[in-house]
Amino acid sequence: MKKRAWLNEPYLIINFVLAGVIMLIMIYSGIFSPDKDEYPVVCIHEKLTGEPCVSCGLSHSFSLIIRGRIDEAYEWNQYGMRIFLFFAGQLFIRLVFSVIYANHPDSRKQLIIYDIIGSSALFLITFMPFLIYIFKFS
Amino acid sequence: MEEAKNNSGQNLGIAALITAIITFVMAVIPCVGMIAIIPGIIAIVLAAVGLSQAQRSDSPRGVIMAGLIIGVIATMVSFSQYFVAGKFARNFDKDKWPERIEEIVNDVQDNVIRDLEDANVSIKVEDGDQKVEINVGTDKSDKEKTLEELEGADTTKHERADTTQHVSITIRK
Repeated sequence: MKKRAWLNEPYLIINFVLAGVIMLIMIYSGIFSPDKDEYPVVCIHEKLTGEPCVSCGLSHSFSLIIRGRIDEAYEWNQYGMRIFLFFAGQLFIRLVFSVIYANHPDSRKQLIIYDIIGSSALFLITFMPFLIYIFKFS
Repeated sequence: MEEAKNNSGQNLGIAALITAIITFVMAVIPCVGMIAIIPGIIAIVLAAVGLSQAQRSDSPRGVIMAGLIIGVIATMVSFSQYFVAGKFARNFDKDKWPERIEEIVNDVQDNVIRDLEDANVSIKVEDGDQKVEINVGTDKSDKEKTLEELEGADTTKHERADTTQHVSITIRK
């Protein structure tokens, strides 16, 4: 029963699920080859407007980063690297914060506040070009 | 029993928060931003159901409210992507596309003219005794030479020239 104690902690559940989602993104980038170009996710924006958007080539970029081809990754999408680092950082944060949360019951509230502020700041810094793009056209 | 009652709606709230966070990340990526409206609505529904359950049992609502707020913001961002796509397409329809089509047509014209300037084309049509020969080229000296040769023969000549190309038509009887 004690082994499943984490199931009663919403913070831990959220962390594990988000870590799982990030892992799935990494696996997706690893499975699909950038050379074959068989990605199932297509850009809806490009389909509708006929013009590539600021996030086009992101899947390619991720796949190339996973394979260590960094220069090519920048060619596909100039923001690919920073977004990949955001996801990698989030995966690390989810796991480390979960361990800290489980081991330090006294500082849980503080930890959650730091997590929210830190992750929000990281998110804004990483996705700022996309947000500017959205607000520029909307 | 009391503990279970107090946690009523919490699981829905957690599900709503996770869905809302994923939706929010999706919503700001223009490629998939438009489809993020679907998980966004799901997050709002989950949060709303969770909130109603939590209100009935007077259980904590922090996670549920977080899910609801992030879900609503994510859905709004996702919805704005439709305006982005619409405005983008409209801009291209009104201003950019005619310009681009004109540019493409001009490029093609330039390429064709450049190719014709470099090429020497000769067309010969024979119908019984009649024979029509059309020569197109830019080398004026060649044309003059051809004309001199033709002047020596018993022929009727029609000549037309412009700045870019030279055409001579010879009809032999």
